[in-house]
Amino acid sequence: MIRDCLKLTVYFGESDRAGSDLLADALFDAFERESIDAAVLLRGTEGFGIKQQVHTGRLLTLSEDLPLVAVAVDEPERIERLLPVVRSLVTGGLVTVERARLAAGRPDVQELPPGLGETVKLSVSVGRTERAAGGLAHLETVALLHRHGLDGATALLGLDGMVDGRRRRGRFFSRNADVPVVIVATGSRDAVASAAAALGRLLQEPRLTLERVDLCKRAGRTIAPPRVLADGDGALDRWQKLTIYADEDARHDGRSLYLQLVRRLRAERALGATALRGIWGFSDGGEPHGDPLLALRRRVPVVTTVIDRPSALQRWWPVVDELTAGAGLVTCEVVPAFHAVGPEVSVGGLRLARPQR
Amino acid sequence: MTAADWTWLAILGGGGALLRYLVDGWIGRRFPGEFPLGTFAINAAGSLALGLLVGLDVTKSTLFVFGTGLIGAFTTFSTWLFETVRLAEDGELAVAAANLAVSIAAGLAAGGAGWALGSVL
Repeated sequence: MIRDCLKLTVYFGESDRAGSDLLADALFDAFERESIDAAVLLRGTEGFGIKQQVHTGRLLTLSEDLPLVAVAVDEPERIERLLPVVRSLVTGGLVTVERARLAAGRPDVQELPPGLGETVKLSVSVGRTERAAGGLAHLETVALLHRHGLDGATALLGLDGMVDGRRRRGRFFSRNADVPVVIVATGSRDAVASAAAALGRLLQEPRLTLERVDLCKRAGRTIAPPRVLADGDGALDRWQKLTIYADEDARHDGRSLYLQLVRRLRAERALGATALRGIWGFSDGGEPHGDPLLALRRRVPVVTTVIDRPSALQRWWPVVDELTAGAGLVTCEVVPAFHAVGPEVSVGGLRLARPQR
Repeated sequence: MTAADWTWLAILGGGGALLRYLVDGWIGRRFPGEFPLGTFAINAAGSLALGLLVGLDVTKSTLFVFGTGLIGAFTTFSTWLFETVRLAEDGELAVAAANLAVSIAAGLAAGGAGWALGSVL
């Protein structure tokens, strides 16, 4: 069964607070009170926000305040009920609301709604040590997505989460068996449909989140540049999100691709960017992989997300296009609601813009 | 070493760590490029200060409290190497090598300059 849902995403900093609590804890306590169906907390490795302040794991002192991304998916009514709470908690950061579809059970090809378009982003969450088909569930899931011909898939390790409305929090001294690992994948409608059906057999009652995306580039080749949209009329702004999937060892001019992306986008004064390092995955037609054993250079897949106004995206798109000339899977999505807040800053609002279908 | 020396060592040691945290954060936020400028500046400044103390031929307990305590806690060998390894992980091998070479060269030069300056004063 496939039903409409909303995806709430909060981008903030690891040391941000809501009163006496850490914002990350306060948000997930709120998700827990609302018994949100699916949620995960991810830690980024590099990024910046509306204040243009760099957050990085490269410098020891700055690494205490890494970028965090909290994602919650549920029925529209429950996410809408959560919004005022989230708005009161987040005093610095970015909140977005996106439309998505939640598929439970065994969706088959005929069931994918036409509104999803030609390219679909599929997200599925498994437990950190969950097993499936004799292996670790997240590795088996990535292998399945690769077999079914998806363009890319990245497994991201959660720090905290909600699974089926129950809290699954990571702790320092624990196996953290149930803490979610989220696998984010992109592929053609047909590939996603066949993979979704196969995931229904591989995993026990998987919940798949399906989102409409536009495929912009694959392995450095342009499929279609991000669509040109108007910024909106102020009351109902529209935003666009660009996501770049590439391996950590991907290069542009001999420099690290994801670091150059974040740095150049900041120089272009984009509203914000976050790079998340995966633990396993593939893109650009390669085999699924993680980090090589006994090697210093890291190879894990890195997912970099940038959100901005449509007019600004058109301004800095040539930079992304140039940097991803040799590698990278690039997708673009419309973000119907966006609210960036900080000291003396407030951009956007959380009323949903009309769907662009 | 007297009990007062040990007390000052603890106080200035803590102060040095705090000072490094503040200075490194301040520099890092302003210059967040690939080169770890904060750690480099801290180690170079620490080398200069330690050279100066030695050159000034201060008493044993002053060297203990300021050299071992304040400058010892302020400067950092482990962060220098940690950040070098992080650069190598990202494949920024040229910057990693530069971080090693430039830090050693600057540390020796600053230490030598401090020593010479202290001897003259």
